[in-house]
Amino acid sequence: MDITEYIKLVFTDYTLRTITLGTAILGAVTGMLGSFAVLRKQSLLGDAISHAALPGIAIAFLITGSKDSNTLLIGALISGLIGTFWIRGIVTKTHLKSDTALGLILSLFFGFGMLLLTFIQKQPDANQAGLDKYLFGQAATLVESDVWLMAIVTGLCLIVMLTFWKEFKILLFDADYTKTLGFNTRFIDILITTFIVLAIVLGLQTVGVVLMSAMLLAPAAAARQWTNSLSTMVFLAAIFGAFSGVLGTAISASQDNLSTGPVIVLVAGVFVMFSFIFSPSRGLLFKQIRFIKNRRDLELHKTLAFMHHIAETHEDISHPHTIKLLNNFQGYTRSTLQKLVDKDYVQLDGNMWSLTKTGFEAAANLYTKQSTEDE
Amino acid sequence: MSNAQLEIQLIASLVAVACAIPGTFLVLRKMAMISDAISHSILPGIVVGFFITQDLNSPLLILLAALTGIITVVLVEYIQKTGLVKEDTAIGLVFPALFSIGVILIAKNANDVHLDVDAVLLGELAFAPFDRLLIAGTDVGPKSLWVVGTILLITLTLLILFFKELKVSTFDKGLAASLGFSPAIIHYGLMSVASVTTVGSFDAVGAILVVALMIAPAAAAYLLTTDLKKMLALAISFGIFSAIFGYWVAHWLDASIAGSITTVLGLVFLLVYLFAPSKGIIAVMYREKQQRTEVSLLTFLLHLKNHDEIEERHVNHLREHINWQKVRAKTVLDLAQKNNMIHIEKNIVSLTTKGDEFTSKAIDYIMTNEDAQIEDMKADFFLFRG
Repeated sequence: MDITEYIKLVFTDYTLRTITLGTAILGAVTGMLGSFAVLRKQSLLGDAISHAALPGIAIAFLITGSKDSNTLLIGALISGLIGTFWIRGIVTKTHLKSDTALGLILSLFFGFGMLLLTFIQKQPDANQAGLDKYLFGQAATLVESDVWLMAIVTGLCLIVMLTFWKEFKILLFDADYTKTLGFNTRFIDILITTFIVLAIVLGLQTVGVVLMSAMLLAPAAAARQWTNSLSTMVFLAAIFGAFSGVLGTAISASQDNLSTGPVIVLVAGVFVMFSFIFSPSRGLLFKQIRFIKNRRDLELHKTLAFMHHIAETHEDISHPHTIKLLNNFQGYTRSTLQKLVDKDYVQLDGNMWSLTKTGFEAAANLYTKQSTEDE
Repeated sequence: MSNAQLEIQLIASLVAVACAIPGTFLVLRKMAMISDAISHSILPGIVVGFFITQDLNSPLLILLAALTGIITVVLVEYIQKTGLVKEDTAIGLVFPALFSIGVILIAKNANDVHLDVDAVLLGELAFAPFDRLLIAGTDVGPKSLWVVGTILLITLTLLILFFKELKVSTFDKGLAASLGFSPAIIHYGLMSVASVTTVGSFDAVGAILVVALMIAPAAAAYLLTTDLKKMLALAISFGIFSAIFGYWVAHWLDASIAGSITTVLGLVFLLVYLFAPSKGIIAVMYREKQQRTEVSLLTFLLHLKNHDEIEERHVNHLREHINWQKVRAKTVLDLAQKNNMIHIEKNIVSLTTKGDEFTSKAIDYIMTNEDAQIEDMKADFFLFRG
């Protein structure tokens, strides 16, 4: 299947269109909210909440007996919120640390959810098939109404975010200061947390419990590498998330037996890797290049200083010396010498070198940090 | 109780002990989430091992999976060292990626493999007794019993051999390093044990129960004691209790054994969380309330000392002056009276000699803020606590 054919199919085929739209919206909203989770050092909250949502789904089914995804999502939302606030209670009221609290809630809630699910399966007249799609996620089960729900929640989330933008931002970077300014930090905090939980719950059906945490983190972690501004980061994360969704869906649709959720997560992972390596200011590649460049500069400076040291002992600073003199010196290489010549600090004449006037001055100023020309 | 039931409970208890030991150290080292990460990211290791050996209990498979677990730890640390993201983000990036690879590997080769993700993640203890180990034709018990037993034996041996090293490096990395045992070796040793335990138990009880068995007993024990040996013993007992009790709950409800063991673990933790003598929620809230009352009492006494005017010391006036609610004002008033700090005459409150002395001391303390003084004062000040 070539690309044009695929794009045509996205517009004509109902299932493919729904899934593509759904995963794109989901990626955008998790990317957006994930930025807040990452910056608040709550990265693993997503993992904990997505597990904690399971008993809610089971209980909602037990109570209503319906498999309507909206009902189940409300159950998931409630138990996700209970889990989140219990985590907070453990962290603030006891000396257990946040990782212990997260792991506890995650495994205990999930185990309880499993108990309920197996209990439901044993009920004689239960029409429970399909509940387990929340465990591993099945993008294929998305229908148009799910996409509408996602779109509405995303819109709501956008409105709230724009309204409380200033508060969110200040809370992220200095919570104590926010409090002294008179903002109701608890309200803002609950608002952010609720929306994060909401986004996670929305994603359960599409990518499943385990992979949801990656959807929350990966786009945000990738976006973080490209910018230091919160608004740009949120925007980029939304874009990365949406692209992961669309590309992941496309790749999994083009092959048999390729589940959508894991592919989306891997695509998001590729975004992260790419950002880690190639981001201009923080990326590993450019960091390494800068490191090498700095070392070269240092070697250049060392050579120049050494030459200056020799030249000082002569009355004529441009008195030629033999290159052999430099051989014992560590910073010296053919290429550093050539660089000095290029900068017009040194003149070469056969096997002899001599410092120029500018070179001498630059070297004299090296350690007084006054020279900026040699940069 | 049938033989199979006995075996299931035995396996579950052994897994609980094998998990509680590394779990205690993970909780103390603030690395509890790494157990969750390992339990998911070993999936590709298991799948690859399974493709090679076609046997879910093969030692090679355990080895490969444990190796994947250690790779996870190394990857997380590498990402963290680059400084691009924080540790928790690093964990959250690594394990879903590895897990995804595992899921895709299974899905692509699903036709000829009877390995599915549900089984790995959820496990089914009820089937463990059917998979028996035969040595020269004789039945020597369920395979998982042997696998888990071996792992537990290794864990116990390592624990006894390196108890001192583990203890020191957990509480003081710098000291451990200067005493000459490398924290890195202890760290990776612990991670390897956690990884092997996870792998060895996943087939019997599933990944989620492994995580629950590692974290919950240790966390509950940590709320009850700060002594490492007692904490280990408590964690082990909580684990065994939940394993056995959880089995009977599952039996009664006819539901997943792993699920009900986890649920029992949850209830045990909840009870400890609420009722632990000094660190439980109720104890903490009671203490906070008491401290608030004590602070109120001090404020009240200071107010009395500062005001000689009758109208400032009238019972009803005090309430509006210090801005207390009625109930709180009454509590403080009663408390002060009971401790002979004040006496009330015709609704006018005044300090007794004892109250006066005490308040002077308190002011002294507030002014100089020396810790030594408060230690002295505590004895007379907080009489009313006990």
